[in-house]
Amino acid sequence: MSMTMRRSRLHRKEHLAALLFVAIPVIGFLLFTLFPLLFSVYASFTNWNGISSPKFKGIDNYVKMFEDRYFLKSLWNTLYMMIGIPVGLAISLALALALNRKMRGTTFFRTVYYLPVISSIAAVAILWQWAFNGDFGLINQGLSLVGIDGPNWLQDTSTVKPALIIMAVWKGLGYSMLLYLAALQSVPRYLYEAASLDGASPWQQFRHITIPMVRPVTFFLIVTSIIGGSQIFVEINIMTPTGGPEFESASIVWYIWQKAFDNLQMGYASAMSVVLGLLVFIITFIQFRLNRRNQFSID
Amino acid sequence: MKKSRPMAATLAFVAAAGLMLGGCSAPTGAEAGEKKLTFMFRGGEDEKKAYEQAVSQFEKDNGVDVDIIVTTADQYTTKLKAAIAGKQVPDVFYIGPGDVQAYVQNGIVKDITEYVEKSDTIDLDNIWEYGVDSYRFDGKLTGQGAIYALPKDVGPFSFGYNKTMFEKAGIPLPDKDKPYTFDQFVDISKKLTADTNGDGSLDQWGTGLNVQWNLQPFVWSNGGDWLNEDRTKVTVDTPEFAETLQWFADLQNVHGVTPSVAEAQTLDTYQRWMKGEIGFFPIAPWDLSTYQKLGFDWDVIPYPAGKTGKPATWTGTLGIAVSENTQHPEDAVKLVEFLTANKEAQESLVKAGIQIPNLKDMAETWAADTTTKPANKAEFLEIVKDYGRALPGGNTYNAEWYDELFTNIQPVLDGKQTAKDYLKEAQPRMQQFLDAANQQAGIG
Repeated sequence: MSMTMRRSRLHRKEHLAALLFVAIPVIGFLLFTLFPLLFSVYASFTNWNGISSPKFKGIDNYVKMFEDRYFLKSLWNTLYMMIGIPVGLAISLALALALNRKMRGTTFFRTVYYLPVISSIAAVAILWQWAFNGDFGLINQGLSLVGIDGPNWLQDTSTVKPALIIMAVWKGLGYSMLLYLAALQSVPRYLYEAASLDGASPWQQFRHITIPMVRPVTFFLIVTSIIGGSQIFVEINIMTPTGGPEFESASIVWYIWQKAFDNLQMGYASAMSVVLGLLVFIITFIQFRLNRRNQFSID
Repeated sequence: MKKSRPMAATLAFVAAAGLMLGGCSAPTGAEAGEKKLTFMFRGGEDEKKAYEQAVSQFEKDNGVDVDIIVTTADQYTTKLKAAIAGKQVPDVFYIGPGDVQAYVQNGIVKDITEYVEKSDTIDLDNIWEYGVDSYRFDGKLTGQGAIYALPKDVGPFSFGYNKTMFEKAGIPLPDKDKPYTFDQFVDISKKLTADTNGDGSLDQWGTGLNVQWNLQPFVWSNGGDWLNEDRTKVTVDTPEFAETLQWFADLQNVHGVTPSVAEAQTLDTYQRWMKGEIGFFPIAPWDLSTYQKLGFDWDVIPYPAGKTGKPATWTGTLGIAVSENTQHPEDAVKLVEFLTANKEAQESLVKAGIQIPNLKDMAETWAADTTTKPANKAEFLEIVKDYGRALPGGNTYNAEWYDELFTNIQPVLDGKQTAKDYLKEAQPRMQQFLDAANQQAGIG
């Protein structure tokens, strides 16, 4: 279609309607994403308590950040808790493989594993808080059946992060499992047939057909999990409202929130959010670059 | 099909417009010229009911329309701050004593001294001084000067004991007028800590106290404190303070009179107390409704006292303030007074077992009735009138310095570090935070 072509009335009317539809997300983006984003960049260079007007003070907040041991600790904690991502992916792929077979009760199991995903994170966090209770908790009671004296999960500096990881893995399993399940079902059967004719073992089939074929899903899950994982907040705030023993479970977003709303340091909190945003951007960028190198197609 | 296109366009337009306007829609429903106030608060069901009733009474009496915004406890600060940032400050809202300084300096809350002193709705002499003073600020220090809010309640944090357990163990009941010394407290706690069913493991303990809410009474009564007089210096590295914290940690590590280690922040000891397995436990007004259902007899006593021989504890409070920019200051202040001192509202809150009366005369009548639990209600009034103090973190621009003490305290409670070493290490860090806070506030 050339631009010189005369547009019909119908075309113009449709164009208008289309523009209006397009306007909604665009206005939403400008108003609720771009503006707050730019504003927080500005706020990050100010001394602002969130209620008065901000006072400009240059890069002070950024300098302060790298001397702030709690900032560094919460950043480390957040990174540490991402150990759950590969673990979760491995388990959910295994589950998807299991549930991809023709056997009785798969629908039931799929529902069971998906339930945590649709449950409110706040409710789930409270449940797990009880489960992790050092004395009466379900987990320690279970462990005591096999003769293990379980720790006081959420109060012990060495177990609080693993406890949160366990919960996060459990909560995320259903979602990644579902995506893997869909990916597995779209792997062409003839690839397996050809491979088995060539004498490939089940492990070789898994290693050289299944894994590469579900790679796009793996990539998608890794990227979204890292972005999501770097923003972990609700479960931390509910299960360890003071940031855990010796600040061991404080995540970066939790720390930002605490500075902004508890300690009247909105400017400093904004600076930390900007740094977090940049880090997430850089990590995602690297992932996309790495993924491009691994891309291949089967035709 | 033909019709659907204009429809679609309209729909899109309406949705787009809705998006743009959604953020700044004014409260609707008011008739032109009618006076309208918004009241934002947080609280549980009982509180909501009592205040809704009081508000509708207020509307009737004064011909003012009041819009109520209720939030949950954890969402309140976030929502209020958002309202402030959006210049939509409610006319009347809750404020903690810790926020007074920042809110006054930024012109968010109104000085209501004149209105309140001239008022015929409220008699200031009949409201707890502690409650009113918590919301005074003279430009430098809180606790004195102009009034910026009235108390919604005062919450004396008291101590209590399981009477049934004492009687079973044949231990003389504590004297409500004479606090235990630290040593006596340890002795009795040791006697209460026992294996009552003979299965080889302890099932009853002397006490089990959360450090964050129970350290203050002991430190204060032992002559220590968090800050110096003008709140510019952190004084947690004094011998009195260290001695008290060590004693507190020793309850578990040396004397073994509390359940297992590291429970400082769980609900465990609370649950155990409710099951009747703990001898001594804190009791605050907001516990009263829950504790009525306990399966044992209990009463309130003063906290054990250290070197000074005088018991100490903290009194919490929440205030109701008026926005600096309200259109109807007189009515707004009147609403605050009404909520603070309205007899019916106070009665229903007290009956619900979540607070003690704000009105002195009503409180005296309430405390005089020793037939309902706890018998020693008078202790609560003693605390409010005499020996209760504000939580240390509530009197400064922010509580960062105060929280710092508790963030890394666990090794002390676990007996892995001495209190003295820890406090020596924590003091400079706390001081740094306090300096920053005071600088923000323009003090020191």
